[in-house]
Amino acid sequence: MLDDKEVRRLLLRTAARDEGSAEAFERLYRTCAPLLLGVARRIVGRRELAEEVLHDGFCAIWRTAESFDALAAQPVAWMVAIVRNRAIDVRASHDVSRVDSYHDAPDDDPEGALDRLFDWSPDAGDNEDRRRASKWLRDCLGKLKAAERQALVLAYEHGLSHGDLAAHLRKPLGTVKTWVRRGMANLRECVEACMVGPR
Amino acid sequence: MRIGNGTKLDALCGEYVLGTLRGAARRRFERALREEPRVALQLRYWQSLFSPRYSKMIELQPSPQGWRRLERELGLARYRAPWHRRAAFWRAWAAAATAALAFGIGFQLLRPAPEVKPLLEIAQLTGKVDVSRVTARLSRDGRTLELSAARAVLAGPAQSYELWLLPAEGGAPVSLAVLGSLDARFALPPALLGRLRTGAKLAVSVEPAGGSPTGTPTGPVILVGEITA
Repeated sequence: MLDDKEVRRLLLRTAARDEGSAEAFERLYRTCAPLLLGVARRIVGRRELAEEVLHDGFCAIWRTAESFDALAAQPVAWMVAIVRNRAIDVRASHDVSRVDSYHDAPDDDPEGALDRLFDWSPDAGDNEDRRRASKWLRDCLGKLKAAERQALVLAYEHGLSHGDLAAHLRKPLGTVKTWVRRGMANLRECVEACMVGPR
Repeated sequence: MRIGNGTKLDALCGEYVLGTLRGAARRRFERALREEPRVALQLRYWQSLFSPRYSKMIELQPSPQGWRRLERELGLARYRAPWHRRAAFWRAWAAAATAALAFGIGFQLLRPAPEVKPLLEIAQLTGKVDVSRVTARLSRDGRTLELSAARAVLAGPAQSYELWLLPAEGGAPVSLAVLGSLDARFALPPALLGRLRTGAKLAVSVEPAGGSPTGTPTGPVILVGEITA
């Protein structure tokens, strides 16, 4: 169970660079590595590459733990962002045209993908804000145009670039860029409307 | 380079969070993130909007070598508490100590109980003069004799009490012990084991300090009692 409070504590302990840091960092690894490896694997496609990404990701987490802002950032999301960025770079530097690895994924079923990939159920460790934000995001993703939703989910899950998306969806680059830009803008608008609207 | 305001910044944050911001554009954005607080603030806002929680279904177990390699390459040994200050060590120690203790107690329980040497009363020694009643008890193995006086009786500085065995079959009294007090516990002389039998008598005489100089009672006999068990 990825308990945000515990992960935050372990990150701060890691950043302290004292006698207990290695132990905290090891616990962090044991707790979070399986998820982060899963995230990396969906982006780089190959298991060995994903293990490399995981390694580099944890090196970066060790090095930059001191810049983790305990008040601002959700700790697991912070680590996911580090690993995703690293995986996206690795994916770009390897054979980018390799799209077959996710071909078998039923991406004509973005609803299914959304619920396969993410856990929308309220978590016991979540505070009320977090729980609401999660529900709004799921609702708003559901309200997007299907093409926008598909582009966002593919880009997020597999780390596809605009070019990858265009190739995969067999659409002009400009069209895909527009889907992505509008998709994100609409998402933001929708979530903000939820925030100010009746709860 | 300054990143534009409003819509432009918003779009950049969105694409960064999604992962579609690439190459030089991403590097510029990351530099701005470090240098311009408003960019960091805006990104933080986006991250709070868009941070879905991954499902456990996507998890994969990393290879066992993964952690060892990290530990080696990052030189993590430096950031470990010495073994004696590590909580894990003390937890293990506590567990081991508890186990050892439990084992020890179990072992103790399994072992035959140490010999308490139960004593059996064999005689009541009484006297004509009002000294005290003394009870004689013999250990089950017949090697240890105990005397206990109803009231404490101590020999004077120039005196000793001597305990004699008067054999059942008759004959000369045999010295069992020279005592300073009638509360005493002592090992019987090996030669006399088995001779404190029913019918024999125990007697206490008052002798010069150190005991009878002759080997037979020389002073007054103050206590006598027949062995009944």
